[in-house]
Amino acid sequence: MHQPLALQPLAPNDSTDIMAIANNPVLWICVAGVFGVIIIQSVIFMKAARTAAPSVDMSTQDIKTSFRSGAVSAIGPSLAVSLVAIALLGLFGAPAVLSRIGLIGSAAYDVSAAGIAAGSMGAKLGDASYTQSVFAVAFFAMSIGGAMWMLATLILTPVLRKGDAKIRSVNPAAMAIVPAAALIGAFSCLGLTELPKSGIHVLSFAVSAAVMGTCLLLAKKLGKSWLREWGLGISIVIGLGTAYLAVGA
Amino acid sequence: MSSITSAPTTPDNNTAMADFSRTTSRWGQITMICGLLISVAGPLYLVFGTGLDIGPGQLWIAFAAVAATFGIIWIVEPLTYYPILGPAAMYQAFMIGNISNKLLPAALIAQTNIGAKPGSKRAELAAVVAICGAAAVHLISLAIFVGLLGSWLISVIPPSVLLVTRLYVLPTVLGAVLVQAIVSMKQPRTTVFALLVSAVVVFVLLPLVPSLAMVSTAIAVLGTILLAWFFRGKTTITEVKPIHIE
Repeated sequence: MHQPLALQPLAPNDSTDIMAIANNPVLWICVAGVFGVIIIQSVIFMKAARTAAPSVDMSTQDIKTSFRSGAVSAIGPSLAVSLVAIALLGLFGAPAVLSRIGLIGSAAYDVSAAGIAAGSMGAKLGDASYTQSVFAVAFFAMSIGGAMWMLATLILTPVLRKGDAKIRSVNPAAMAIVPAAALIGAFSCLGLTELPKSGIHVLSFAVSAAVMGTCLLLAKKLGKSWLREWGLGISIVIGLGTAYLAVGA
Repeated sequence: MSSITSAPTTPDNNTAMADFSRTTSRWGQITMICGLLISVAGPLYLVFGTGLDIGPGQLWIAFAAVAATFGIIWIVEPLTYYPILGPAAMYQAFMIGNISNKLLPAALIAQTNIGAKPGSKRAELAAVVAICGAAAVHLISLAIFVGLLGSWLISVIPPSVLLVTRLYVLPTVLGAVLVQAIVSMKQPRTTVFALLVSAVVVFVLLPLVPSLAMVSTAIAVLGTILLAWFFRGKTTITEVKPIHIE
């Protein structure tokens, strides 16, 4: 194939075969690395807790009970997170989903960061403009966002530990209003941005929002907190199911 | 707000607890820095190591756009979780993620089960151990259900289903998350401002000036903050609650 250089497509960055790069072995190695770091951290922290336990009247049985309680209570939420993660596999691929949505971050922030990053390149996630380059930048945006959370933790924890009261006595009204306004503002703008794309976008958005509203209402009325945990997963599945039916209709 | 763990260690004669604090803060920092570097290494490799034509400028723009939206949250979340988590668990929680829906309940249940008083040293240790337990379950379920089962699922579901998932998963996530955010924040006034500002940005401003698409979320965030602040209610807020989405 001897095309003049100028006529050659801008391969491979115009390719929309996201999975070709999303499953790059290096990314899998990084996922293994993050898993490994968390395992090492847990082992060190467990050992430290076990050593300190006798000094505060905490028996070996107490340690066992604590570990088991933590493990058992995490089963439900972990499965709920896994369901959300599976729904996002087709968009981001397994390595990105495992390291971003499963660990470190969360579906809400990471999907938003990816959407914002794609927007900054004039592209939309999931459609024809979602090229390999857009995926790479979106993945970068999600990861750097998570990194900033960790950076803030690394900087603030030692400061707070010294008992620096100043930093926590920030105007409580501002602390209550500003972050909440930032979150609701961000998610409402990101959500509404989806609407002009197509009628099915409107439908998926509305159905999912309605299902989440119902889940939260039932969780409160019936006192079933698992509905709150599973709300996002249930909303996504029903929303996507509706979209599938609407596309076929 | 009830405190799960004692915050700063008081200088009593408990050298074992002092050792615990020293070990967890040193290794907490080391492991978190490793986690941070590894998690950023993946995408940087994709961007610069696979022949994609992406300039550093593009990354800076993407970073700025995300920072303009979530920058405040990056700082506020660690601040508000510290009194609940205590120093040791901070390094665990912000690396494992899903704090409010998974790690906090895990810590609370463990403390109840061993009868540890909130704020006591026993409670602090119980929280750290419970989070280790939660992390173990979480890693296993992710590896099995997402890593193995999920990858298999993607390979067997019909392409038409996969296509629908890719196209419409974004509006379904955002629809649900918006409702979650509104319900968990319980600030009706702010919610009205947010929806109004966003509607103006998306349906009026963007069609008129399409080049603003890059900063549209930042405009909505800033606009909502300003309106919510200047038209805030008269009720005085005395306690700061963690900002989270349920």
